[in-house]
Amino acid sequence: MVITALAALRAGRLRRLALAALALAPVALSSLVINALLPAGGGGVAGALAALLRLLGATLPPTLLFATTDTADLLGELEARGLGRRAVLVVGTALAAVPRTQARAVEAIEAQRARGLDTEGSWPRRLRGVLPLVGPVVIGGLAEVEERALALEARAFGAPGRRTLLRRLPDSGWQRAARWALAAAAAAALAARVAVR
Amino acid sequence: MIALEAATYRYPGESSWALAPVSLELRPGEVVGVRGPNESGKSTLCLVVSGLAPSAIGGELGGRALIDGRPTSELRPHELATRCGLLLDNPAVQLTGLHRTVFEEVAFGPCNLGLPLAEVGRRTRDALDVLDIGHLAERHPGHLSGGESQLVALAGLLALRPAHLALDEPTSRLDPDRTGLVAGAIAAVAAAGTAVLVAEHDEELLGRLCVRVVDL
Repeated sequence: MVITALAALRAGRLRRLALAALALAPVALSSLVINALLPAGGGGVAGALAALLRLLGATLPPTLLFATTDTADLLGELEARGLGRRAVLVVGTALAAVPRTQARAVEAIEAQRARGLDTEGSWPRRLRGVLPLVGPVVIGGLAEVEERALALEARAFGAPGRRTLLRRLPDSGWQRAARWALAAAAAAALAARVAVR
Repeated sequence: MIALEAATYRYPGESSWALAPVSLELRPGEVVGVRGPNESGKSTLCLVVSGLAPSAIGGELGGRALIDGRPTSELRPHELATRCGLLLDNPAVQLTGLHRTVFEEVAFGPCNLGLPLAEVGRRTRDALDVLDIGHLAERHPGHLSGGESQLVALAGLLALRPAHLALDEPTSRLDPDRTGLVAGAIAAVAAAGTAVLVAEHDEELLGRLCVRVVDL
């Protein structure tokens, strides 16, 4: 976490990281209640703090990665380092799935509103308004997968051999050294944990 | 040249034919239109002409479909892509959504072929220039209008340098101004020697662009 925070400071993304950490406040609070106040939790304040640190350790590095790295750059580098084009597409499509689904949901909401569906007002009314959206969003998404697959074939995606990469990101010696050092530190920490037990 | 000889097609798992037997020839530089009511098989005909039906999606082809004298069923999808580009009616699905500039999006096809970087750049710039959308090169593909997206999707196909294009209702989602843009682009592409098949509802557009129109 210290390394993540330093990296965020260096990249000017400390505020973004702090917001992501703040978003975990409800989880931290519930963990504190369960561990400190309920007999079933049993970990006390120290247990709650340990759980929170684990959670921060698991979520903040990916948050920083996506806050500092363009998806296209990430995919390009993964491919340059040997990941196959189909695997890269799967990763990229998964990353792009959320905004695409959001856009499709907005389209469905607007279409349903145009037909007179009330999607605002009280919570029960909003809930009733959600149900007619499920079909268009889910079925539309599935139909789109087929069309996208066809469109990829029409653009020679299945051609054999390696794809041409338009650019590579700069990768200095100290960056490579830092990566190896971090990997070694992670392995050492893991080994130490196993040895202590 | 593309030639269909009593070509018909049945989708995988379907018992009925989606396309009644069609015969046509598509020669270099000419624009041929296809019209017909909904469900008459216009989209299916585009798939058959491009060879992706049955090569990519399976199903059964009746009659014969030839590209440059070779049956389309003998060619693999990436080989077909360099011979006949297929433009779908929805540009949103035709763009990959994985690139941050229009230039990179258009370059996707040539990159797939593993061409040298200089050749990728040349083909990409040429495709943008033919459609007169070079000014969009540095724009984000997600921030384009419907007409611009359709032109970028078309440029993505042109960058593969196919001798033929099959366009499935390329203006169905566009307003008149954007339709004019795409129509101009089709005329420009044909003038450069590409054979174009256009499936459209727009009679005026077909009358303006096509040397002949096939009724389904």
